[in-house]
Amino acid sequence: MTQVRLQLALMLACSWIGAVSASEPAPVTGLLELAVYPADINLTTSRDRQSIAVQAIYTDGITRDVTSQATYTHANPGLVKQTGATLTPVADGDTVMTVAFGDKTQAVPIKVGQATTALPLSFRLDIMPVFMRAGCNTGSCHGAARGKDGFRLSLFGFDPEGDHHRLTREMPGRRINLAIPPDSTLIEKSIGTVPHTGGKRFESESELNSTLIQWIEAGAANDDVTKLPKVVGVELFPKKGVLDGKDATQQMTVRAKYSDGSDRDVTSLAVFLTNNDTSAAITPEGLVTAGARGEAFVMARFETYTVGSQFIVLPKALKFEYPAEPDANYVDTLVASKLKKLRISPSALCTDEVFLRRAYLDVVGTPPTIDEYTSFMASTSPAKRSELINELLERKEFSEIWVNKWAEILQVRSSQTISYKAMFLYYNWLVEKLSKNMPMDQMVQELLGANGGTFKNPATNFYQATNDTLALTENVAQVFMGMRVQCAQCHNHPFDRWTQDDYYGFAAFFSQIGRKTGEDYRETIVFNSGGGEVKHPVGGRDMAPKFLGGATPDVAGKDRRVILSKWLASKENPWFATSFANRVWAHFFGVGIVEPVDDFRVSNPSSNPELVEELGKRFTNSNYDLKSLVRDICNSNTYQRSTQRNDSNTTDERNFAHANLRRIKAENLLDTISSITETKDKFQGLPLGARAVQIADGGSSTYFLTTFGRATRETVCSCEVKMEPTLSQALHLLNGDTVNAKIKQGGLIPKLMTQAKYPEERLTNLYLRCVGRKPTATELEKLMPGFVPGADQAQALEDVFWALLNSREMLFNH
Amino acid sequence: MTGGSTIRPQFSRRGFLTVGACGFGLSLGDFLKMKARADLKTYAPIVAKADSVIHIFLPGGIAHQETFDPKPYAPVEYRGEIGSIPTKIEGEFFSQLLPQTAQIADKITVIRSMTHGEAAHERGTHNMFTGYRPSPALQYPSMGSVVAHEYGPKNNLPPYVAVPSIPNVYAGTGYLSSSYSPFSLGADPASGNFRVQDLALPGGIDDSRFATRRHVLDAVNDHFAKKEKGDGLAAMDTFYERAYSLISSQKAREAFNIDAEPAAIRDEYGRNAAGQRMLMARRLVGAGVRFVALQYGSWDMHVGIANGMRQQMPPFDQAYAALIRDLDRTGQLDRTLVMVSSEFGRTPKINKDAGRDHWPKVFSVVLAGGGVKKGFVFGASNATATEPDREPIGPEDLATTIYHQLGIVADKELMAPGDRPIEIVDGGKVRTELLA
Repeated sequence: MTQVRLQLALMLACSWIGAVSASEPAPVTGLLELAVYPADINLTTSRDRQSIAVQAIYTDGITRDVTSQATYTHANPGLVKQTGATLTPVADGDTVMTVAFGDKTQAVPIKVGQATTALPLSFRLDIMPVFMRAGCNTGSCHGAARGKDGFRLSLFGFDPEGDHHRLTREMPGRRINLAIPPDSTLIEKSIGTVPHTGGKRFESESELNSTLIQWIEAGAANDDVTKLPKVVGVELFPKKGVLDGKDATQQMTVRAKYSDGSDRDVTSLAVFLTNNDTSAAITPEGLVTAGARGEAFVMARFETYTVGSQFIVLPKALKFEYPAEPDANYVDTLVASKLKKLRISPSALCTDEVFLRRAYLDVVGTPPTIDEYTSFMASTSPAKRSELINELLERKEFSEIWVNKWAEILQVRSSQTISYKAMFLYYNWLVEKLSKNMPMDQMVQELLGANGGTFKNPATNFYQATNDTLALTENVAQVFMGMRVQCAQCHNHPFDRWTQDDYYGFAAFFSQIGRKTGEDYRETIVFNSGGGEVKHPVGGRDMAPKFLGGATPDVAGKDRRVILSKWLASKENPWFATSFANRVWAHFFGVGIVEPVDDFRVSNPSSNPELVEELGKRFTNSNYDLKSLVRDICNSNTYQRSTQRNDSNTTDERNFAHANLRRIKAENLLDTISSITETKDKFQGLPLGARAVQIADGGSSTYFLTTFGRATRETVCSCEVKMEPTLSQALHLLNGDTVNAKIKQGGLIPKLMTQAKYPEERLTNLYLRCVGRKPTATELEKLMPGFVPGADQAQALEDVFWALLNSREMLFNH
Repeated sequence: MTGGSTIRPQFSRRGFLTVGACGFGLSLGDFLKMKARADLKTYAPIVAKADSVIHIFLPGGIAHQETFDPKPYAPVEYRGEIGSIPTKIEGEFFSQLLPQTAQIADKITVIRSMTHGEAAHERGTHNMFTGYRPSPALQYPSMGSVVAHEYGPKNNLPPYVAVPSIPNVYAGTGYLSSSYSPFSLGADPASGNFRVQDLALPGGIDDSRFATRRHVLDAVNDHFAKKEKGDGLAAMDTFYERAYSLISSQKAREAFNIDAEPAAIRDEYGRNAAGQRMLMARRLVGAGVRFVALQYGSWDMHVGIANGMRQQMPPFDQAYAALIRDLDRTGQLDRTLVMVSSEFGRTPKINKDAGRDHWPKVFSVVLAGGGVKKGFVFGASNATATEPDREPIGPEDLATTIYHQLGIVADKELMAPGDRPIEIVDGGKVRTELLA
């Protein structure tokens, strides 16, 4: 025993030394503000306590943890006891604590109540958090569907009732030993006194262990759920931090709020995570330590809540000046605001040549022709870029790109049970809506609330993609809200806020869809059946329809889907506009502000929350006008930057300080090659010369499109479109019949041989077609030896054409 | 990472969630592995007993009764009209349609107690290709893609090849990067004018012209390569390099050249789909391909099973026996694991249409080589081939055992999207009873 104590003492001493050496005295000048967290302190009942974090914010934006350097004065020292940075209650009453550092002070009100009352430990409020904190109920341990080594806990504690049963009733007397609590297997395994596959989870002297033992000593009682308060929110402090150099630290504190108005310091019960260990590591006790320069999102998980704080780590005493450059619009302002925090300078604007090809590929899906190149380059209008954007937005190819995108996420795909005719009509319905620039809220409301035949009202095809209520629920959340709620089908989402209650409440909107075969056997009639409920898998109760993250509307006697559509595609649903705006953004930058675009989740933070929100807000205010959103994005300097990186942004990938290289998507790539080679394609069901982007049915494809990762439309996932290179792609471009046959079919080489007189002229023509620029002097120097007199000029030219069509510069939008 | 002006944090085990991560300077391997990191659990490496796998998949659900698990003593409505014959394993019988296979039975292991609960084709197929039951939340990678992910290419050849084409969607990469997808021959080796898709230079382009073109392409790429950097670009370059190696390596290309086989060997395998596909598979694994997924026939015989079997079985019998003999003769059998499987078996009783319907409760899988026992029957179905009588084995155990023979610990976790660590196979056991 003595030995254990000694070890503990040593450990404590070490951690104390560590903390001291890491935080050299913070400067007391240049202070902007002193922030004390939490801003108010409530201590209720004798077991309560509150740890505080004091953060000094300096005028240069740097933050420092001055908790141990600040001075604390209590107006009434008799009410609380302060040990280090932790307050515990002594006597009831109200007081004020004044925290001072440098020339700043901050007053924190303190309320103490029931200071001498000790409440019994609750299974849900006190014991379940121990299992989460110690990692007992994770997926690779006892939280696995079949448990581990014969003992199961519900994954991340979604079923406390079941867990209590398994602990106390499944093997009476073993897991919990009421007679000799320390002999309970639960205890022995946790503290490692008997062999445990998961090893020792905590020390026998730890608070976690004493909590378990006290609860068992008190009879291992279950809770009376009707009287028990629920967690209604969790706060993680500080909300953000900018750390100055490696080894700077910041202590975090976590507070849970309960439905009875009380709160509790759960720093010792929360699970801490970071999304970037290298920049900001966090200890199980909640101490953040800065590492390499970068950005990290530090998270705390307690109960079903995950909350995060953003940390930026800068090199120590970095000197930085953001270049003076007028913002083109709000996009630039918001991007710059983030870049300034990170001390990153943006790249310069791209050249007109690069902009032209980029804008064509992004807005209409094909490269500029030589005539279009010439006229744009010749234009002297200072606003020629925005004029071009306006012109491209009016082309039908613009809406085709978005029809294609919608067809992917709406799974427009024929199958054995879904007729081609229905899908063709569905596709044309999309063409109709998008080519007329119908506001997106109306379009989505028509889809979700659709009733009738799949031929007569093609919007009803939305309900043909799946007959499974739960799959449909998940698809709606993913497509229209950018959320993947699948996890919550079987357990509370481990890294997001969604619980099984949320999931099944949302599913209840889709429980009354009627489907029957129409007069034409290929047609399905979708109608409101008016009956049918969704049951919760734990307990089996009927779930009332509840908007995901929203209210519980009155649905009595109404079509539930119509009610849902009015909320989902509206301002009331905060994710509708933002998630779509984020998809649009990702189209133009190759990466979303939230990425993947259909995975908005607390633990997958947005790289620029203000930007994605503003885009969503503007999109909403423009009455969901896609063109106006695209116009804003394309006119920003952010979109028009060069891919050339500078010293400060060279490794940045998520903050839009430079343009990104993006491989051209399968359909657009084939259309691009056809346009360059002046050839026509024939796709099933479409006239000769139709473009790949116009193929209505996900089921029909070609070797080229499949190989280059065209979405099969079998799921709604944004991951359906594959951009990764494969061996087959390289072989196909090198040897396959797309490039080689198209060069021949288009007959451009013989045409150029007669129309252009000199090899340089012919080469320039091919370069302009394929990569939107003229060959450089170096390139001409390298290529011209192939065109010496006596060489087969046409063959040499064909080889250059082939090479250009295989070139990375052609394959990538840049 | 060395501080300085870089802002890219290193990929840690949670590299997935990292904002601002993923700069350049990563190798292709790093780039692709970012999507599937597997370092949450650590294991002592295990020694591989097999270098490669030939997975012969018989789609549609082949009847166990008419192949490896006949029931000669069951009533005729159970045993069907196809008879049985003795094999090289004392006291064990195969269908009379497998006379040649019966003669090499002393070199193989027959599992007669395979079982799972999925009676739909796609779900059963999923089980057999991934070792997982289908999930609503996740697409699992096939065994071949996992092997490609774990081992990468060898001798300029793609690690995972589909003969003649990708057999079904479950043979794909699941949550792994599509870079691990099978390389499909794109043509049937049995057809007279067989050519692997895009492997040969197009008509009119000889080696010297191709060399000129490569030279021109390098000149054209140079400008962009000097100016631009990016992970996608580097990855594309790597696959071009792999394509060049494959095109220009006579040895690698030769692996696909079935015409190089002596006529006697081609005849021994049978000049048909079964024979030439299996011969191609042998050539490929011999040259360094890690995993060949091969499919043959169509076995969903709800109607007239006896006639269907009589038509499709003999070519399989000839080819399979030839493959095992050939591998054995050349000494490759010890390092090559050959698996014959199907998504499920068929109903115990002959139905009203003289066929059999779907039956996943018990069916047969055959293994050979790569360190499995020789001349062994594992498990048994009951007297009417309705359910396992002893030693039932599920898809997770089968997959785990196969991975184990390849030197892959199936309990290892790969990282699926959303920072979700997923075991290669969940809860499977290595069935050492199968191993020599």
